[in-house]
Amino acid sequence: MQTVNIVLSGLGGQGILFMTKVLAQAALNKGLKTMGAETHGMAQRGGSVISHLRLGEVEGSLVRTGSAHFLLALEENEAYRNIPFLAKGGRLYANASPKSFARQEVKPYLDKMEIVYRAVPAEKIAAGLGTPMSSNLALLGFFSAFEKDLVTHKELRNAIDQVTPSRFKKINFKVFDAGFEMGTQ
Amino acid sequence: MMREEIFLGNGAVALGLLESGSQVVTSYPGTPSSEILPEVVRLIKSEGLNTYVEWSTNEKVALDNAFAAAVSGKRAACCMKQVGLNVAADSLMSAAYLGTVGGLVIVSCDDPGPHSSQTEQDTRLMARLAKVPVLDPSNPKEAREMARLAMELSEEFRIPVILRPAIRVCHARQALSWGPLKNNTKKASFEKDPGRWAATPRFRFILHGELNEKLKKIARRFEGLTAHNFHDLEPGKKYPLGIIAGGVPYSVIRDILLEKDRKDIPVLKIGTPYPFPEALADTFMSACEKVLVLEETDTVMEYFLRDRQKVLGRLSGHVPSEGELVPQIVYSLVDKVLKDLGLIPFKGDGNQDALDLVASLDLPVRRPTLCAGCPHRASFFAIRKARPKAIFTSDIGCYTLGLNLGGVDTCLDMGAAITMASGFYHSFDQDQVAQPIVATIGDSTFFHSGTAGLLNAVYNDARFILVILDNEITAMTGMQPTPGLGIRADGSKGKAISLERVVAGCGVDFVEVVDPYDIKAMTKLLKKATEYVNSSTGGIAVIIARHPCVIAYPKEAITERKSVMVTDDCTECSFCLERFECPALYHDEELGRTNINHSLCTQCGVCLQICPKGAIVEA
Ligand code: SF4
Ligand code: SF4
Repeated sequence: MQTVNIVLSGLGGQGILFMTKVLAQAALNKGLKTMGAETHGMAQRGGSVISHLRLGEVEGSLVRTGSAHFLLALEENEAYRNIPFLAKGGRLYANASPKSFARQEVKPYLDKMEIVYRAVPAEKIAAGLGTPMSSNLALLGFFSAFEKDLVTHKELRNAIDQVTPSRFKKINFKVFDAGFEMGTQ
Repeated sequence: MMREEIFLGNGAVALGLLESGSQVVTSYPGTPSSEILPEVVRLIKSEGLNTYVEWSTNEKVALDNAFAAAVSGKRAACCMKQVGLNVAADSLMSAAYLGTVGGLVIVSCDDPGPHSSQTEQDTRLMARLAKVPVLDPSNPKEAREMARLAMELSEEFRIPVILRPAIRVCHARQALSWGPLKNNTKKASFEKDPGRWAATPRFRFILHGELNEKLKKIARRFEGLTAHNFHDLEPGKKYPLGIIAGGVPYSVIRDILLEKDRKDIPVLKIGTPYPFPEALADTFMSACEKVLVLEETDTVMEYFLRDRQKVLGRLSGHVPSEGELVPQIVYSLVDKVLKDLGLIPFKGDGNQDALDLVASLDLPVRRPTLCAGCPHRASFFAIRKARPKAIFTSDIGCYTLGLNLGGVDTCLDMGAAITMASGFYHSFDQDQVAQPIVATIGDSTFFHSGTAGLLNAVYNDARFILVILDNEITAMTGMQPTPGLGIRADGSKGKAISLERVVAGCGVDFVEVVDPYDIKAMTKLLKKATEYVNSSTGGIAVIIARHPCVIAYPKEAITERKSVMVTDDCTECSFCLERFECPALYHDEELGRTNINHSLCTQCGVCLQICPKGAIVEA
């Protein structure tokens, strides 16, 4: 299989590490080799946080600019900040308002690079279910509605099941499924 | 019964250490090393091992303890971050001469970037300075193998061995297959030999000779260590350019060359930068006209290469001398070398137009900040209120973020809040200037390096206020227990050390405890402390600002939830946003006033005490 490069971005505390863990577990379940890179330490206190995940036969954990197939962003500005990672034809998923995403200034570039971008109000979905800090799961659910070739909704759901502590399972599934619904509409 | 599991790089190190039969593992937390010991604990619990683990009070303490275990014939490991090795340097330099009986592996994690450290220093240089071997893994899988190799080398040659994974190894995730772990049953024994273990300078000279002999033997071993030192030269072929790389830069360049299908550029991978496998490097060099060296963070291998005419790297200006060698940097620097040498360059650029585009957007930079509900925020607010003109010396931990609140003026190294406070005091006092000084230090940092400085300050009659920010945890590095808590690394109960008694034991006569959530009480206490510091019979005043970390202990930290709101009395003065900077407070353009982001608000209620217009009220 060809290498798949994924970049996940957001702010410290938004659950980027958890999102990375779920995707990596899902890939492992499919028998794929995975290599990831995470941010720990000072930036976790609300600064810009970024995770890299690479599927396939790779040595290094970092994605090079211009070579990511997917960018998942939990915050709008962090989505823009990390656009340089995307390769031509890459896909961008952001927690943002579908009406206003993406900013006018970046659209010509995204179009030129044939980058598909989709926004979902992940935080609103999560807040609506009483757990505003779970926007990461809503975004993952939304993502799974479009990227079946990479990982299906069911495969991701199983991975969430594996890495979630039992007391959070019910709510995590609820938010994840709500994000998925939003994507299938 | 092998199973596949995704390991954090630090977990891979932990696994390797236990597979090698480590019976004692000590550590002091620090990014990027902090997860090693918790991973060791997780594995010994799941595998039922009897490995002794401890969070030591600092890195020197950790290394001395592990060294003693190795002297007793056991296998021991000691884990820290690269600047922690500075603290342990005294121990390391001497241990290299004395040697071991069992095995001793020192894991020192580097932080090129730096992401979470005060310097980008390179542990490989410390290894060279101490004259101990160092292994430099390129990914978690190799880190695990090297942990085992390091232990075996250490025991065979009776020398401490350093493993230095860089942050991209420590915080990488990779699937590894592993099986049941066994206890190492080696028993402790100590044969008295004061000539060695308490060697005087004359015998140290002999020990130095022994050490040099060991290094020669190890260097020979490294020449043939094909699992970690290897190249892809074709016999007899000559190349215009070759690359010598180690650690993370090796994995980066390997991926790029594979992706670009560049078999015309051979790579020599070095996993053992010291002692350097010189003959292997000579073979490689003689097949290449030029050789580019890729290594993090400092210049180490580049100096070891003898044919200077051929070498490209930091000294020739081809490789940046600071910062991380991330893939896009390696890509463009190698591309430039290819162009300079008239070779075929890579296709495509590093997405420069996208980088320019993003730069033009002027995106707000999200600086890290103290969490919503963090007790340190309340402390800094009170300190600035009570002593606005003071010099604020501070230290290393979450509370360094007091920078954003104007409550931190200096941060040098662990413990320097206190030592710099006394240094400032004497410098101003010499000129008869009564400069107010308030030092802030966390509980864990105080236990790590605070007492020697405090003893010194008391003994030499310095005058300042020391606020110990006691949140009962080592928070920044991921919530490790402190001696004050009395919970040990494996979760068992230890003896809790009383900060009050330690401070009093350092000779301080003014020690008071306050809950910083009560800003009024803390401000009042700071005023009282000021009087004490300034009175002729006074001295150093220590205030222990005690309130649990809101992340580690959400329930205990906020016992009474207060729902807050901002009224129309808000004049948009921004005082709260600048001086208090709770992430849950923001300026609402539409409403034309400050507002609360309820998904971030922890309902701590501290902000009820801060608005000068009284606009923040209980809902
Ligand atoms: S809430 Fe108070 S402190 Fe904050 S901007 Fe409004 S008036 Fe100023
Ligand atoms: S109550 Fe006030 S200080 Fe506490 S988290 Fe909420 S907004 Fe911040």
